[in-house]
Amino acid sequence: MCVGLSAKVVNVKDGTALIDANGAKREVSADLLEDLEPGDYVMVHAGVAIAKITESDEEEAFDVMEGLL
Amino acid sequence: MNEQAKKARDIITNYNGRPLRIMEVCGTHTHEIFRIGLRKLLPDNVELISGPGCPVCVTPVGFIDEAIWLALEKGCVITTFGDLIRVPGTEMSLAGARAKGAVVRPVYSPLDAVEMARQNPDEQIVFLAVGFETTTPSACLAAETAKKEGLKNFSLLTANKTMPNAYAALVGSADAFLYPGHVNAITGTAICEDLKEKGVSGVIAGFTASELLTALAVILKNAEKDEPFFVNCYPRVVKPEGNPPAQKLIEKVMEPCDTEWRGLGVIPMSGMKLRDEYADFDARKKYDMPEIKGRPNPACRCGDVLQGKCKPCDCKVFGKVCTPEHPVGACMVSDEGACAAYYQYGGV
Ligand code: SF4
Repeated sequence: MCVGLSAKVVNVKDGTALIDANGAKREVSADLLEDLEPGDYVMVHAGVAIAKITESDEEEAFDVMEGLL
Repeated sequence: MNEQAKKARDIITNYNGRPLRIMEVCGTHTHEIFRIGLRKLLPDNVELISGPGCPVCVTPVGFIDEAIWLALEKGCVITTFGDLIRVPGTEMSLAGARAKGAVVRPVYSPLDAVEMARQNPDEQIVFLAVGFETTTPSACLAAETAKKEGLKNFSLLTANKTMPNAYAALVGSADAFLYPGHVNAITGTAICEDLKEKGVSGVIAGFTASELLTALAVILKNAEKDEPFFVNCYPRVVKPEGNPPAQKLIEKVMEPCDTEWRGLGVIPMSGMKLRDEYADFDARKKYDMPEIKGRPNPACRCGDVLQGKCKPCDCKVFGKVCTPEHPVGACMVSDEGACAAYYQYGGV
């Protein structure tokens, strides 16, 4: 139940965001993120967008490590 | 494999420092680490142990009994994350209660349960609110929405939990924690900084193969220095301040309380309950629920598994009486449960 889903925001209206997660579209609550805009990437959990994601490419994780080693 | 992945893998396989016990607090980490085969890379002196971060696993027997009481005695419709349906209560699970007439419906989000209440004014809908800081905001949003709309047929049965006091209870069971990234997405990094000040090491980890490989390499690299460390290895999602609107909402709707963790007993101030202003949406108050105490199956060692004191395969009934089809304890139910992960991936 704890798995998060990263998705792209397609549309935001009245506290609800339409998101696209690998082609699957659904509506989630956008109430907990300020200034959400179409094109942003978000982490979704239990029907609520809980975090904006700055990097859409997860491989960036390795760059983080590069800086730490 | 790209250059960096190779470098991370080399750090892990070549580690020859002091023996290390790393606790993956979160059940999704346990599952993903097995699935991508990371355990096979670890040298003998690095041990991964599972922690109490699967909300389904730490939900006590009594909570399931409470939900069954609401369904069978009060005729409420129980809505819940699907995993909870098969978790054993004292006498039966919610799946078992269905056979006795209970109405139990899985939902993806507590907001879906609110929608169900809107659509079905003749039904009394109760949502089983379990989960950590990641999930609690969605339950608070549901309570807030129901209050705003004046819904009379929606309430929450809460068993929400928070991590900081649980970490305190676990200090000493591991040399470093793999902190659950999605909890920190809400809370921010201050908790981990505090733990570092107290001598507890850890890194915040994401969930993909590259993120987990990175997080483990960073732990092993830092462990060589022999002083407490904390690194946020999931900055694309976790910001130092976390999610302030979510924190404010939780603060508005809920307050800390003592709570029971399956197998660990009561940890003071490690739970969240609805504030008095939301009493109409608190199923325990709304239905004047008596105190219900659960009796766990004495064979089940979930408590020891959740504290890293034993491996699932050390439990006598693991894989024999207790399987994902017939779970005896909660840790065998959800994919995120340590026992279920060991069962599925062969008890490495
Ligand atoms: S194998 Fe089953 S009974 Fe044993 S600790 Fe795990 S869940 Fe409990």
